[in-house]
Amino acid sequence: MSSLLRGGIVSAFLLTALIAGSVSRAQENKPAKIKASAIKVEMIQSDEIKLPAEFQVSLYEDLIQQLQKKGGLHVYREGDRNAPDAADLVVLHSTVRGFKEGSERKREVTTVAGATSITIHCVFKDKEGKALLESDVKGNVRFFGGNLRATYDFAKKTAQITHDHFSPAAGA
Amino acid sequence: MAARIRRAFVTMWMAAFSPLVLPILAQQPGQPVKVTQITGLMGVKKNTGGNLTVEGGNLHFSHEQTKVEVATTSMEDVVTGGDSQRLVHGTLGTLTMLAPYGSGRFLSLFRTKLDTLTVKYRDTDGGLHGAIFTMPLGKADVVKKELLAQGAHTTAPEEPANSAAAQTPAAKEQKQ
Repeated sequence: MSSLLRGGIVSAFLLTALIAGSVSRAQENKPAKIKASAIKVEMIQSDEIKLPAEFQVSLYEDLIQQLQKKGGLHVYREGDRNAPDAADLVVLHSTVRGFKEGSERKREVTTVAGATSITIHCVFKDKEGKALLESDVKGNVRFFGGNLRATYDFAKKTAQITHDHFSPAAGA
Repeated sequence: MAARIRRAFVTMWMAAFSPLVLPILAQQPGQPVKVTQITGLMGVKKNTGGNLTVEGGNLHFSHEQTKVEVATTSMEDVVTGGDSQRLVHGTLGTLTMLAPYGSGRFLSLFRTKLDTLTVKYRDTDGGLHGAIFTMPLGKADVVKKELLAQGAHTTAPEEPANSAAAQTPAAKEQKQ
């Protein structure tokens, strides 16, 4: 009985050590943040894929709003004359790679059909135009809300990526 | 006999001029249009209802005490489009989704068509903004015409009204 108890305690210890080890490894693998104090958001480009104007504008506005909400970096809009003076400026270029416009009516009636999805290739560049980070981000709206909610989903994910990789203090 | 002739004359006169009546009623420049600002106006929350007017080289949006002006000359692009919304929308619309026996889903089938107006403009620092409005069907083209007449620009030039070409997808811009 006591050996059974001892075995249980030992295996519990081993399990705890295993979990703790994997957590610390994950923390070690986290990339060091790139130093940046400001980000300039360029208008979303959709040369190859026809994107309705309201989607393009909604993506841009939602992205700016989410980046401002996350904080940390000063957010500039495309064409802002003050942006070039900012130290450690990162420029975010976004290009639409995929777009499927669903239907709010279908979503509300069937729940499973009518999803809207949008895939955007994001490139973060420095002032000189050197790419610092590239990522494909997907925005979806599957159940509730209008089609433009997909732009909010994209913006939230992109703001999180920005927050994870860029910081005013390098390596933080 | 004379009354009959007079009646026939009045009927003919009304029939002759009736095509002119509708366009005059539809297009009244400077009249406020009830809109919903979806996003993009500085200092205005998302999905705010208000009145939109185009006067004196400015687009005016007013909601209670909030008043926002955008100079038409700062507008780089004005595009119209189409959308739809549930007939029963807002908070009541959300509550009806919980209605029993799928009646909420049934209500989702009934929708009203809307016009959308998308405006790209620059602020005083040169920063690019985009504003989206929804409004009753047929109003967006009127507002767009007024904006263009007062100095705004567009990448989707207007087709002549009532022409067959205006019904093609390309000419209708991005109406869905």
